[in-house]
Amino acid sequence: MAFVLRKIGLFLLTLWAAVTLNFLLPRMMPGSPTDAAIAKLAQNGPVTDATRKAIEAQLGVPDGNIFEQYLGYLHQVITLDFGVSYTFYPQSVSEMIWQAFPYTVILVGFVTIIAFVLGTLIGVLTAWKRNTWLDALPTLTGSFASTFPYFWTALLLLFFAGYVFHLFPTSGAFGPTASPAMTWEFFVDVLYHAALPALTILITSLGGWIIGMRNAMINTLGDDYVTFAEANGLKGRTVAIRYAARNAILPNLTGFGLALGGVVGGSVLVEQVFGYPGIGYLLFNAVIGQDYPLMQALFLMITVSVLIANFLVDIMYGVLDPRTRR
Amino acid sequence: MNHILEVKDLSVVYESNGFTALQAVDHVSFVLEAGEFVGLVGESGSGKSTLGFAITRLQKPPARTNGGQILFRGKDIRELDVESLRQQRQGGFAMVLQSGMNALNPVRTIRNHFIDIFRAHGHVEKSRWDARQIELIEKVGLSKEALARFPGELSGGMRQRVSIALALSLEPQLMVFDEPTTALDVLVQQAIMTTIKSLQKSEGFTAVLISHDLGVVLESTQRVLVMHEGRIVEDASSAEILQNPQDEYTRMLLSHYADPRAEVVELPGFTERASRDGAGAGKASGTTAAGTTASREGRSADSAIVVDQVSMVYPPPRRGESAITAVDDVSFTLEPGESLALVGASGSGKSTIAKLITGIEKPTSGTVKFGSLDVARLGRGQIRELHRNVQMIFQDPYSALNPLHTVEYTLTRPVVNFGGLRGPQARRRVLELLETVGLAPVEQFAAKLPHQLSGGQRQRVVIARALASNPQVLIADEPVSMLDVSLRAGVLALLEELREQWGVSMLYITHDLLSARLVTENIMVLNGGRVVERGNTAQVLQHPEDDYTIRLLDAVPNPARAWGAAV
Repeated sequence: MAFVLRKIGLFLLTLWAAVTLNFLLPRMMPGSPTDAAIAKLAQNGPVTDATRKAIEAQLGVPDGNIFEQYLGYLHQVITLDFGVSYTFYPQSVSEMIWQAFPYTVILVGFVTIIAFVLGTLIGVLTAWKRNTWLDALPTLTGSFASTFPYFWTALLLLFFAGYVFHLFPTSGAFGPTASPAMTWEFFVDVLYHAALPALTILITSLGGWIIGMRNAMINTLGDDYVTFAEANGLKGRTVAIRYAARNAILPNLTGFGLALGGVVGGSVLVEQVFGYPGIGYLLFNAVIGQDYPLMQALFLMITVSVLIANFLVDIMYGVLDPRTRR
Repeated sequence: MNHILEVKDLSVVYESNGFTALQAVDHVSFVLEAGEFVGLVGESGSGKSTLGFAITRLQKPPARTNGGQILFRGKDIRELDVESLRQQRQGGFAMVLQSGMNALNPVRTIRNHFIDIFRAHGHVEKSRWDARQIELIEKVGLSKEALARFPGELSGGMRQRVSIALALSLEPQLMVFDEPTTALDVLVQQAIMTTIKSLQKSEGFTAVLISHDLGVVLESTQRVLVMHEGRIVEDASSAEILQNPQDEYTRMLLSHYADPRAEVVELPGFTERASRDGAGAGKASGTTAAGTTASREGRSADSAIVVDQVSMVYPPPRRGESAITAVDDVSFTLEPGESLALVGASGSGKSTIAKLITGIEKPTSGTVKFGSLDVARLGRGQIRELHRNVQMIFQDPYSALNPLHTVEYTLTRPVVNFGGLRGPQARRRVLELLETVGLAPVEQFAAKLPHQLSGGQRQRVVIARALASNPQVLIADEPVSMLDVSLRAGVLALLEELREQWGVSMLYITHDLLSARLVTENIMVLNGGRVVERGNTAQVLQHPEDDYTIRLLDAVPNPARAWGAAV
């Protein structure tokens, strides 16, 4: 229990630091959005002071000293009020993120978990059956597939499965006739549309998990406790799962935590290729459209989700490895 | 005919792709009678562990048995399929591994280890699980509280006891102990061997004790198989081996045992000098090694190390625990040319003292001085000065050398850095150093990489490296404990010779009282960071006064004592 409390304390501290940095960094950078906008207008003629005031008011340039600004910012963060998007005016930033969020979590999050679980299981199998075809086949295919760049796999799938054979839709998160609602039909439609981007992520990330788990497990298979378990006549399955795999998975959890944290950032390339309206797609458009409020909110969200994922992995370590519970 | 195990003409080879097959066990035959306690002795590379793994069918590729039979109760276990082999492990043969402390799954409690075994074999009724666990854990001298612990929460010795209890839970007829006490502290070693011996008597299983240490084996077993280069060179009762060894190799191993308490202690390599230094100049009595006032060809040391009321307290390892006092108010002086032994079990603070003297750690209180230098308060140039004069020899020659560099490169670094020599001069100095430590032909050794050297040769390179800066003080931290017995005497003789010829003073840190007796004139016994006894080495060891010193002396394997006969 003390372990969990300490981890929570540490998490809150880093969270505060991250939020504060997100506030300080833009203020320490040279230039300002107002200057950028005025520079653009200045190309067509002189800009009056009134115009500058108007732009500042429109952008919500804060007044008051830095502490007042900081308190206001904290209040905004807590109430999830990140202002209004420039590019999709008058939609609020929170509203836009809230719309994109479920798609990314379903697509990238779900696939990341599946890839980890599947890759780990295959990795255990390949290590346990090493130097047989059950080892060679998945290991070779996995390492081959993971060398493809994301976008190239995406384009291949798009061309063959989408365009040539019409197996799956080529873009969007749901069909033109479907209306977003909590119905079974809509859910199936979303899954159907997620198939190709999901497959892309699965193909390119699975190999890494297989090989990572295989290597870790081959190491633990050489450890004395595995030999001793065999000497004591434990069943093969017990030795493989409870002794070898159970210890081999520990180092892979860190990678899993990082991958989970990255989920919310979305998979920019994949979402872009498939026109999938998730966070990655939003982030791409925010950067293209110089949509500062949207960008800042997205960056904050990505930071926070990485922190949360790491916190969860820390707790998981505590559960899985007694040596860390100190 | 009550053979429990009959090994006929067994061979084991190591076959890796691209390498020539290595015959680790070479047509070995022997018989074990039920209830016997047999030792299997040999130095590293003799094939003893390979044989132990083969007879319990635990060998893994690239090791492979080729040819021969292993008849366990009349059935050849080489022919068992995987499942019958697995079932055979209950009520059949069990193994306790060398590094028993790593033989437990770090993420499972001790209780779960037992339950895994009970589940796998179903030989204990579920309602009896708890009672059986407690019974077993108490048999190996632990309390039942240990059952709820994770392996990481137990000490090395406790973990080894747990592995013995686990092996015992299989109710085996044959138990193979592969170096069960190596890597454990001396006193713990002795306690565990006592447990194994009494269990063997009370449980009545047949036992094989694999060890590199003939002393330990002779003390506990009835019969000994001596292995050398894959063959069993001698198979005789322990008493016979002790009194009338037939094989030359056995005789050689035996010659490296002696009682550190004896009037005169002789080992091969030390006897020769005994005749040369018959007068025993400067020494009170005892060892046959050379005196300190003998002629010194090298420069003689001119600065003493003065340790004055030094204490070292480490902060608590975990919250809520108390701080650890590693060294507690220790004072001593290491005079120029003196050799001083620092002995004690692990945790006695002896290695911490080495760290304090070399400036790696700073004492919590007290001062350490080398000549006029205060070791705890050194400037950059002074640290260099200290390192030029005070050099370390490390315990593990296998990790003390960078595997990527030749011996010449390793030795050239300090020659260039401390000696300021360049080019051909530096090379001449390197060859000179190799000559000094007895690695001839020097040109050949200079070009070698560490993996091409034996353990003893590596340790000589480590010593040569320490000598490169022409130091006044050598700090040797267990310099021979990782070496085979037959190589130890040579390295010890070298250390002694260096001191005699160069006038180097030496702080010799060890738990091995026999070697301390051979190479030091004075001794300090440490227990829990405090000096409990000090004085002339021969006198202290012959007439120990402190309890702890006596316990350390009793822990030295001594076959002669066990069999009540003189070597």
